[in-house]
Amino acid sequence: MTVTSAQSRPLGGARQPGFGSVLASEWTKLRSVRSTWIIIVLTITLSIGFSALIALVQGVTFDDWGPQEQAVFDPLINSTSGLLFGLILLIVLGVISVTSEYSSGTIRTTFIATPKRLRVLAAKTLIVGLLGIIIAAIIMPAMIFVSQMIFGAYGMETVSAGDEGVMRLILSFIFAGGLIYTLIPLAIGFILRGAASAITLSIGLFFLPWMLAPLLPNWVQENIIRFLPDLAMDSLGGIIAADSAMYLSQTPAIVTILAWLVGSVAVAAFLLKRRDA
Amino acid sequence: MIKTQGLTKKYGSTLAVDQLTFEVQPGIVTGFLGPNGAGKSTTMRMVLGLDNPTEGTVTVNGKSYRDLAAPMQEVGALLEASAVHGGRSAWYHLLWQAQAAGIPKHRVDDVLEMLGLSEVAGKKVGGFSLGMHQRLGIASALLGDPPVLLFDEPVNGLDPEGIRWVRALFKRFADEGRTIFVSSHLMSEMEQTADHVLVIGRGKLIADMPVAEITQRSAQSHVKVLSPAADQLAPLLVAAGADVSTGARNELMVTGIDATVIGETAASNGIVLHELSPRRASLEAAFMELTQDAVEYRADGNAPNLTDIQETARELTSERSA
Ligand SMILES: Nc1ncnc2c1ncn2[C@@H]1O[C@H](COP(=O)(O)OP(=O)(O)OP(=O)(O)O)[C@@H](O)[C@H]1O
Ligand SMILES: [Mg+2]
Repeated sequence: MTVTSAQSRPLGGARQPGFGSVLASEWTKLRSVRSTWIIIVLTITLSIGFSALIALVQGVTFDDWGPQEQAVFDPLINSTSGLLFGLILLIVLGVISVTSEYSSGTIRTTFIATPKRLRVLAAKTLIVGLLGIIIAAIIMPAMIFVSQMIFGAYGMETVSAGDEGVMRLILSFIFAGGLIYTLIPLAIGFILRGAASAITLSIGLFFLPWMLAPLLPNWVQENIIRFLPDLAMDSLGGIIAADSAMYLSQTPAIVTILAWLVGSVAVAAFLLKRRDA
Repeated sequence: MIKTQGLTKKYGSTLAVDQLTFEVQPGIVTGFLGPNGAGKSTTMRMVLGLDNPTEGTVTVNGKSYRDLAAPMQEVGALLEASAVHGGRSAWYHLLWQAQAAGIPKHRVDDVLEMLGLSEVAGKKVGGFSLGMHQRLGIASALLGDPPVLLFDEPVNGLDPEGIRWVRALFKRFADEGRTIFVSSHLMSEMEQTADHVLVIGRGKLIADMPVAEITQRSAQSHVKVLSPAADQLAPLLVAAGADVSTGARNELMVTGIDATVIGETAASNGIVLHELSPRRASLEAAFMELTQDAVEYRADGNAPNLTDIQETARELTSERSA
């Protein structure tokens, strides 16, 4: 048996991969499947479309409202009625950007190409988080703008960008919303590795407290509920009234949101490093 | 070169890989044989840094896989050909890997061409046949043109032409000095592909030797002798160190010495031979013999018959060094 030593032949143009390589690769993965685009298009159209539809229904029926109802009508909050659909779809986007790799088995190929697993986590976090911000930056102003047009057409009260609270809501939902609704689900995707369980847990985390909060005693609202990510975002955006037990002022709200982002991604990183792929 | 030292993997209470120590040499095709559940895939996942060993170490070219600077340019691997996203085209499937690995884009077209997949490059992988999946998996492994290649059951689903092509590819790569590590439970396939084999059963190394030797050492390899004076010849052969069993009339089955010695013994004693034919056991048969205990254990779930396997292994290795 003759044993020749294996010399590696440099491939023309090949280089040592770095973080930029992983970023490029993750972006290719995301954009090369139709489901990504379907989710993005649905997120945008459903949130804007439903907001417009509800605004239209409110406009058409406005004259039938009681004077009390008409007086407390808030044109800002009421222009984000379709946001729920958009947020659920952002959760789905964050989760499946990870779990589709586990269900198809490409996660192993990913880690064969990039054995430094935290680079993969970092690249996905960056890309999906940025995508979340971009999508939120499209839907927030659009929902509000379209709804104001409708409200105006029916002679209802309207708000414009310069009015108090409008930019605060838009900006906090773009940045805090765009990030928490994609990245916490992404981290949960890495932790649970299955789409169904990760989506369920994410939806529970974001929407259940909202529904349960009014039924819970004050001290639970004050010590637990208001520190949940969605509630902190609502405090930041001015949706929760400053006199509510669930309200967090600006700085603690921002710290809470960052803590959730960093914490969930850190748990994902810890498990990713330890576990078998 | 791939090197393991006391490599062990436990999944809960399942001991999937048990104290494996071996080296896979460059320049030859090394087969990795074992029945289902023997631990072949687990071993390969540990080589690639996907699963963490419970004990022991494994290195590729002297480094742990996770420490390789450009892993896909140093090691190519095919694990599960079905591990692809069905909604992505073949071209994109290879592109994201190339990008992650620092490999230029044009190489994607090159490997697709090599594997005869150029025409379906833009098609969604979900519609691919078993054989096309397998080709795509091999294309991934070749992307970085690496000196070390690992293939887990690469011929699964390939047609005869595909199998011949893959076999020739392995040979060519080995001749170029690359390290080729190929797992299979199809012994007949390995017989024609591998130069050297590692046989494992229930996670343990049973044999580590050239293919030629493993079949030669098998009890089922023997020399058939036909002689009108078989009765006279038998004791002479035994004296020369052979094990002799008698078959049909005038027929002897001889193991332990080769045909040359038998012929010379007969000649020097003036015995006429009508037939003198070496019968080589197929690797398949040798493998069945080697792994019988491991398979039996799996089938009936009895207590592990470790001593038997170790016995077989010891016999084989001592014969080999003799
Ligand atoms: N992730 C896992 N979790 C638990 N047990 C596992 C896991 N992977 C493998 N095993 C077990 O480890 C043992 C070895 O499995 P492995 O897949 O490595 O065998 P194999 O030699 O590749 O078999 P095959 O020829 O069927 O592919 C089996 O008993 C299997 O059930
Ligand atoms: Mg296997």
